[in-house]
Amino acid sequence: MKSLIFIVSLLLISTGLLAEIPQVVTIASIVETHYQNQDIFKTLFFIVLPMIGALTFITVLALTLVYLERKIAAHFQCRLGPMRVGFHGILQPIADAIKLLNKEDLIPKDADKLLHFIAPFIAMVGTVLGMVAIPFAPNIQVIDLDIGLLYLAAVSGIGVFAVLLAGWGSHNKWSLLGAMRAAAQLISYELSITIVLVVVVLFTGSLKLSEIIYQQDSLWWIFKGHIVSVIAFFIFFTASLAELNRTPFDLPEGEAELGAGFHTEYSGMRFSFFFLAEFINMFLACALMTTIFFGGWLPFHIQGLDALNSVMDLLPPLAWFMLKTSTLIFLMMWIRWTFPRLRIDQLMKLEWKFLLPLGLINIVLAAIVVSFKWYFFA
Amino acid sequence: MFDSWKNSKVKEVQYGNLQATAVQAPVIERNNVFSTTAFAFKSLWTGLKITMYYFLRPKTIVTQQYPENRETLKMPERYRHNLKLKYNEEGLHNCTGCKICETHCPNASIIIESTKGEISKKIEVDSYVWRQDSCTFCNICVLVCPFDALEWNPDFESTVYDRRLLVTQLNKYAGPPAKVIGKMDDEKKESQLNANKEKYREKYIGPNIPMNGATLAGVSKLGDSMDKKGGGESNV
Repeated sequence: MKSLIFIVSLLLISTGLLAEIPQVVTIASIVETHYQNQDIFKTLFFIVLPMIGALTFITVLALTLVYLERKIAAHFQCRLGPMRVGFHGILQPIADAIKLLNKEDLIPKDADKLLHFIAPFIAMVGTVLGMVAIPFAPNIQVIDLDIGLLYLAAVSGIGVFAVLLAGWGSHNKWSLLGAMRAAAQLISYELSITIVLVVVVLFTGSLKLSEIIYQQDSLWWIFKGHIVSVIAFFIFFTASLAELNRTPFDLPEGEAELGAGFHTEYSGMRFSFFFLAEFINMFLACALMTTIFFGGWLPFHIQGLDALNSVMDLLPPLAWFMLKTSTLIFLMMWIRWTFPRLRIDQLMKLEWKFLLPLGLINIVLAAIVVSFKWYFFA
Repeated sequence: MFDSWKNSKVKEVQYGNLQATAVQAPVIERNNVFSTTAFAFKSLWTGLKITMYYFLRPKTIVTQQYPENRETLKMPERYRHNLKLKYNEEGLHNCTGCKICETHCPNASIIIESTKGEISKKIEVDSYVWRQDSCTFCNICVLVCPFDALEWNPDFESTVYDRRLLVTQLNKYAGPPAKVIGKMDDEKKESQLNANKEKYREKYIGPNIPMNGATLAGVSKLGDSMDKKGGGESNV
């Protein structure tokens, strides 16, 4: 029965009719139902189908992001970017992917072969695990965890392992330096991210992503929580830039000093895994920001203004989610192609002397705001 | 905290007879964390505005789709690729064969032969050989020329299968410059112009015989056009 609901819901998503249904039907719940009914084929079907779907989605998303990054970077720098393969170079990422897959997969002579081999896969695993909890639309979600926020914060730490192992296993001084920088940077900025998540939990009183979204039906948290939310968003955005190794915090792979840093010694498919993971991580971070600050797949609603709300409902939830996420991704690209790279001491200073104290003050502010219910539509 | 260079301190300095203005580099005061933070955000926003300005204006793109727009290709004004003698409407150049460019050329890419002209009774250029294969396009020859005889030609498609084809003769005729011919009387001028036509120079002077005795289209054999020294490369 639930599978029928799922299929019908997929059909109805484009009309946005399901935005009001509080009961979330996820793929995990469907699989669980079939498993309890001892229907092995349906269980397997609903395990394999999302896997294929996720694989396709991740690949297509990464290729799209690579294309967009190159094109946007070019236009920021008065260039055209890829123009040859297909209309305005639209097939360029596919050509690049084919080239990368055909390249020789080199392992340096003195490298730690096991660590060097598994590092890219760990990077990919961390990314895919993060993808699991993201709610794209009311019922397009693999699993709606009760501790979704905590889970995402934990899973994003797996990427650090991949970077460290890649740098350590490569037997290359630049890789090792990049990995050490990455470890220092990612562990430092993880603190800020977690502190911001605490602020969100203070507001919502829940770690469940779907519930966090439903609470923003009156207004998105970024507006609802006024100053506190804006500061929290600023810290989260800056810290996630650092987490993603993007300029101005791309010290782990600083081309100028380290020659690509931790992935210097990688080529072919395993290099493309790092590459893919990097772009999907960017999407993940932006999706998480959308979920906790910009109402996830919810349209822009203001409680009481029914006319505005019904106009906003015209766009389907999935489109709202993608619109918000891609806006944030564009913001990240804009920043990447504007600012120069920081020095390692400036990076640490920014985190430990600016973002962390600001985050701690923000927690206190958030506690006051929440306890006196000073936010909008309390 | 500074807003622009105008606000920076200026000091007049005297060095003997020389008077100079020394500008003190502006220093960002870091005693107030709030103003420093505000300044940081302001400067970040300035940078973001500049990139967005160019992002929103596709007309500022400078990339040219080269093989496709070969007909309408626009080369920058000061692009240096082919050295060229300037010719006026009558087809006369300004080169007097003074060899100033030859002496200034840092890698001996210019070789000039000059002789005393039979009609003008003055030193005039006989052959002006320019070696593109060893030229670094430093522009010194154009700068030092006292007669403004040289200029750059933006034709950059000079790919050849034999680098000896890059040794070219710039002057189309051996003869006096336009200035000298202009001062002649009509009879003398006519005979001079006829002499110029006889002393027509082919473009490729080059190392005259192609390797192993093979012939190359566009490259004349030794002795056919010029029996002068051919750009420094010894013949096989």
